[in-house]
Parts: sequence; structure tokens; C-alpha cells
Amino acid sequence: MKRLFLIVVLGCFGLLLNGTVWAAGPETLVVGVSSDIHTLDPSVSSDNYDWRQIYPCYDRLVAYKAGSTEVEPSAAESWSVNEDGTIWTFSIRRGIAFDDGTPLDAGAVKFAFERTLQIGRGPADNIGAIDSVEVLDDYTVQITLKNAFGPFIQTLATDAASIMNPNIMKHEKDGDLAQGWLAENTDGSGPFRLAEWTRGQRAVLEAKPDYWGGPAQIKQAVIRFMSESADRRMALERGDIDIAENILIDQLPALEENPDVEVNKYPSQLVEYVYINNRKPGLDDPRVRQALCFAVDYDGIIHYVLQGQGVQMRGPVPEGMWGHKKDLFQHKRDVSKAKALLKEAGQEDLELTLIYSERRSSWEQIATILQANFADAGITLNLELMANPTLRDQVDKGNFELCLGAWSPDYADPSMFMNFWFDSDNWGLPGNRSFYKNERVDQLIRKSVTLSDQEKRVELYNRAQEIIMDEAPYIFLYQVKTIVPMRKNVKGYVYNPMLESMYNFQDIWKK
Amino acid sequence: MDAAFTSRHPRLRELLLTLKILSRNPSAVAGALIIGIMAFMGFSADLLAPFDPIRINLSERLNPPGWGHLFGTDEMGRDILSRVMHGARISLRIGFMVVAAAGMTGSFIGAAAGFLGGRIDNLIMRVMDVVLSFPPLVLAMALAAAMGPSLNNAIMAVAFVMVPKFARIVRGEALAVKEMPYIAAARVSGAKNFWIIFNHILPNCMNSVVVLATLTLGETILIAASLSFIGLGAQPPAPEWGAMISVGRKFVMDQWWYATFPGLFILFTVIGFNILGDALRDVLDPRIRR
Repeated sequence: MKRLFLIVVLGCFGLLLNGTVWAAGPETLVVGVSSDIHTLDPSVSSDNYDWRQIYPCYDRLVAYKAGSTEVEPSAAESWSVNEDGTIWTFSIRRGIAFDDGTPLDAGAVKFAFERTLQIGRGPADNIGAIDSVEVLDDYTVQITLKNAFGPFIQTLATDAASIMNPNIMKHEKDGDLAQGWLAENTDGSGPFRLAEWTRGQRAVLEAKPDYWGGPAQIKQAVIRFMSESADRRMALERGDIDIAENILIDQLPALEENPDVEVNKYPSQLVEYVYINNRKPGLDDPRVRQALCFAVDYDGIIHYVLQGQGVQMRGPVPEGMWGHKKDLFQHKRDVSKAKALLKEAGQEDLELTLIYSERRSSWEQIATILQANFADAGITLNLELMANPTLRDQVDKGNFELCLGAWSPDYADPSMFMNFWFDSDNWGLPGNRSFYKNERVDQLIRKSVTLSDQEKRVELYNRAQEIIMDEAPYIFLYQVKTIVPMRKNVKGYVYNPMLESMYNFQDIWKK
Repeated sequence: MDAAFTSRHPRLRELLLTLKILSRNPSAVAGALIIGIMAFMGFSADLLAPFDPIRINLSERLNPPGWGHLFGTDEMGRDILSRVMHGARISLRIGFMVVAAAGMTGSFIGAAAGFLGGRIDNLIMRVMDVVLSFPPLVLAMALAAAMGPSLNNAIMAVAFVMVPKFARIVRGEALAVKEMPYIAAARVSGAKNFWIIFNHILPNCMNSVVVLATLTLGETILIAASLSFIGLGAQPPAPEWGAMISVGRKFVMDQWWYATFPGLFILFTVIGFNILGDALRDVLDPRIRR
């Protein structure tokens, strides 16, 4: 708490000092974003807002094709797979090197995957299908899976599969596998490297002129941390920044009128929801959680705050992802039912605290609406705004009651939702942020992820979803459109729902 | 009231005289009028405010000022006029509570320091100097942050910051008063230190304290609004002016009315207290008087 407010206070001073005007030439791309980086270690971070910086600094065996969930060769030139889909052999492109000249070879791939798996944070779940990695020769690596996993090749295109320089181990302290160092530095073979990171102000990625895939057209990408949506919008209109992330929907009509700005909207699989800490007294009662779900005015939020740029979630799996269950139960506002449930649970004067950050510009309004909605059902809701990195620490430790969150898939598989959110092995930041545990659900989702028959998998997931809707471990709010306002002279940006909030800096250029 | 009555009650006579002089001073009248209006709005907000200040009504969100909502509505569809009216109550309450707490504590500390003198004086005043050496807003921010964000903590933090101002003024006066012959007389007749402080020192410092209190009220309201602005004071959904501006600034480019009205209310309240305080200082200064 104290630390949080020091951050807030220092942040305020930061805002005052932040008035420097960035004369952004055509070789510098400036992106205005809402919150600072949490960590830069690809083996630790499970936050798209970190990946925004991490992803362009590293190479992976494969990469997503522009705007698609299909993959294409990247650091791996080609690959083959045995018949039952459990042994994958990759032949690695020659001539890729890290900054210190160390080649990206089979050994580096083995090091990277084993490091990520050993650290065992969120990214380890992304590549969790891997059983072992073997070096066949300098440029051939063989990956054995625990069991066939349909989207395995896609998981290798996610940030979690980033290949880092094995030499980072010289920065290792007390057996931390160099986590301390890599949290604040980058050491990859990607098209960019971190040149500067001033907390609360900006991160600068500089393009490598000798990148194997050809240098980027911009010389540097500057990511400016500007917590206010209004600041980002003004900076975009003035031309101080080229792309403004996360603009309050109320501010879009004015932006759309600006002839220099283009407001692009993309159907996304980004969902926003409330983590209910299932371990906290009171909230461990499913009736109370159900009551919370019934108290929320979903239609009002979507119609007015999102101005229709979103749809209510129906269960955990969003529309557009296979496994989305069209006839699943969906909560609608029903205050009397909420009250009845609370009465039944003996929790008639419940007082809860919701923590949230300014990560998403709409959250302050959502928090205020939840406060009013809950008040109608007789629940007192206190709101606590904190800096996003602090919030993530609290979530990881389970040190909260309710918390606003956002999630987007990294590969096109419903396990991104079903397994990450509900597996009791994933408590905390890795994904199960409501600290939910149900043995039956664990069984169903763990079984489903090992099967290759999609129909069978959907069936298991459907059964798990029925239980989940009964027990209401989260409040499922809505699925949004991703809105990316940018200057008209920015070209080459491609949105990919699997790479939410991440930019293809490598291909972007300014006219 | 006949002259005989007032002459028997010198303090009352003094008060009536002060009020009379004040009523001839246009800036004092203006200040008092502004504060009177604010106080009236604050106290009768429940009756006068056209809407519930907290109840959200999403279909009315961000409406510009018009006949239905004179000051427009905010992003939750709440009526801004109703919110600033209720905000007047919160702000004035903060102001008076802070000034009462800081004024009483500070005056007593200052009077004790000045009257007792010596080492106690030195100790107290050095502590006060330490507190005074911080910019008040920064110290209040640090304290409020350390105690956790809530309105009551903010009030305590601001009160703490304001104590030395009173202590310093009263100590200065006490130093002069204690040399008066009647103090020596009281001492000779066996009066205890505390009795002298309460019955002679403090009453004789009241003029300066009243002036300072009035001026401090304005500053206090401003600091409290600043704390709420950065989230350390009143918590949502309380219609505190600073907190309203904090949210309203996000909309300031398209919905000017949101942050403007609470801002104007802060402006007028602080101006009101400041000009009244200035006028009081002039009126109560014995050199200018009569």
C-alpha cells in the first residue's frame, strides 16, 4: 500500500517532468501507452504490455504470419513431426547471432526452453507441452512432447518461446537463472534491442542494422508511458506520438474527425473480467460469487461505456475462438436474485474492495459502475486504484478480494482460457487469478488438453464450462474491439489477435 | 443593547465593533457572502440538490449543461450541480475540522512554548520548524499515503501540517503578552501556569488566531482537494471537488463542464476565505483600528 502510493506520488511528479516534446522524425516511431513495463524477462512475464517490448527483441523458431494464427518459419528454416505428433525436429537457420556474437543454435534453443520451463512461471504454461529438448547437432534440435498437442507449433510463436542468449548466465545471482538481470535488459537476436528504459517515462527500442531478416525501416521505437487517455489523445493529435493505445471510447469521435489520424477497430479476442479471489472468506461461497455476477449491469456497461464496441462474454471462451459455447448460461442483471442469494449465504452486509489500475482506460468507469451496481444489491464496494506493476504483484500473491483484469489468447486454442484460468496449478499471475479449485474441472480440462480430437475436446470443455458457470469464480464482463488510433502517415501496422497490444515494429514505417 | 451593558462586557463590545467595521468593508462582505452561499448550499444540499449525487444513470451520461441538468452530467450520468452542492458540504467540513483541530492544538502548543520559554520553548519550536520546513502539500501527501487513502486520514494529515502555523503565531504573541504587568500580577497572586495560559495568554492571541484560521481555511480546502485529486483523500463515489476534477480532467477536452464546475467552486471558496481573512486582518489590527 505504502509503496503503491509512493509510486502514484512519484508518478505525478513524473507527469510534470514529462512535458518534453518529442520531435519524432520519420525514423522514430513513438507509441503512447497506458502503463509501465513490469518485467522484460520472457521466461517470467505473462503480460502483453511487457511483451510489447520483449517480443521484437527476440527471435522464435516460428512466427505468426501477418495478421494470422498460422505460423511460418523464422529462426527455424523447416521442421518435421513424427506421425503421432509428439516428436518435432527443427532445423535452425544458420547465421543468426546474438549481440555478443554467440550464434543462435540448437544449444541456445535448448537453453531457452529449459530455462523457461525451470523458472515455471506463466510462460512455462505456454510451452508446457514440452517434455524434453535435445540437441541433435549444432543446427538441429528435437523437441519431445508429453503428448500430442494440436496448437504446439503456435505456442512456439508466442513470447514465451523467445530464445535468449545462453551467455546471460554470466549475470546469474544466487541461482536465479539471470532473472534479475533479464528483468531489466534484453539479450536476444531479434530485430530490436532495448536501448533505454526510464521507469514511468519511456522505453526505447533501437533497431539492429544487421538483423538477419533485414533491418527495420525505423531506427527506433519509443514507447512512452502516459497514464492518461486524454494525454495520449492530445499527444497523438499534436503528432508527438504516432500510435495511441487504449483511448477512452468517449474520446474517439473527436479523434475520428482529425484528418491526420486514423482510428482502426479490429475484432479481437480480448476479454475483460473480474477476478474474484475464491480464497477470501465470504467469497469462498459460490452463492456470494453468483450474487456478484447477478448484480452487474452488463447491458449498461456495454451500451454506454463501450458505446457498443463490445459484447457480453458468454462463459470464459470468447466469440471467434473454437470451443465458444453459444448456448451457455449468461448472467443478466437481476438485483433481487442477487439479494436473495446473499441472504441465503448470510452475507447481507458484505463489504469488499476492488483493486484496479489504469491499464485499460475504461476501468475507472467500470469500477464506479460496479460500485453502484453492488450497492443496489446491498454490497459496499471500496475502490482502490494502484499502479499496474503493483497490482500484478498483489494478484500474484492473492492479496486482493476483487480485481479488474483483461486477457487475450496467445494462440488459437481454448486452452488459453479453460486451462489457464481454471487449472488449480496456475494460481496467481500465470492465469488462475481467482485462485479457483475444483477437482472435477481440473480433471476435465487437463484431459481435454491432451486430446487431439477437437470434438472430444470441446465436449470436455463444455462440461467444465457448465460447472464453472455454476460456481462463478469470475465475473465475465465483455469482449472488446481493439481500437488502435494512429497518425495517417504510419504504414505497415498489422493487427493480430494473438499478439494483442504488440506491434510489428519490424514492418512499420512512416511516410 | 445599552452602552452600560456592553461596557460591562468588554469582549462582546469588541465583537460588535468588529462586526460593524467589517460590514463597512466591501471585500469582507463579498468574502462572507461567498462563504455564506457555499455553506448554505452545503448544509441544505439534501433539500436543494435536484438529483441524488451518487446514483448512476448511464443513459444520461456526459450531457452538456442544459435545463434538465444546469451543470451537465458526468460519465456516470450523475448531475454535476447536485454533486458540487454536496461537495460543498464535504469541503467545508474538511476545512472547519482541520482548522479547529490544528488551531486548538497549535495555539495551545504555541502559547505554552512562548509562556514557559527556555528549553521547552526551544524543543517545541524546533519540532515545529522541522514540520514547517516541508512544503505543506508534499508533507500532507506523504502522511496521507502512509496512513492509507481515506477522507479522515486526509483530514488528519492536513491538520498535522497546519499545526505549526498556529503555534508560531501564538508563540510570538505570547512572548509579548507574558511581559504584561497583569501576568506578573496573576503570578504573584499564585496562579498556575496553565491557568494563566488559558485565561490570559490565549484570549489575548485570539485576534491573530481568527485571522490565521480564516486564511488557513482556504488553503486547507485547496490541499484537501489536491489530496483527493491524486486519490489520497475522499474516495469514490463521494462528490468531493478535487476527486471530481481528477476524473473530469480525462474528459476536459470534449466535456468541458465536468471539471470546470467543481474547479470554479474551489476557486470561489478559496477566494472567499482569503478576502475575508485579509479584511479581518485589517480590521483586527489595533494600529489600523479606530
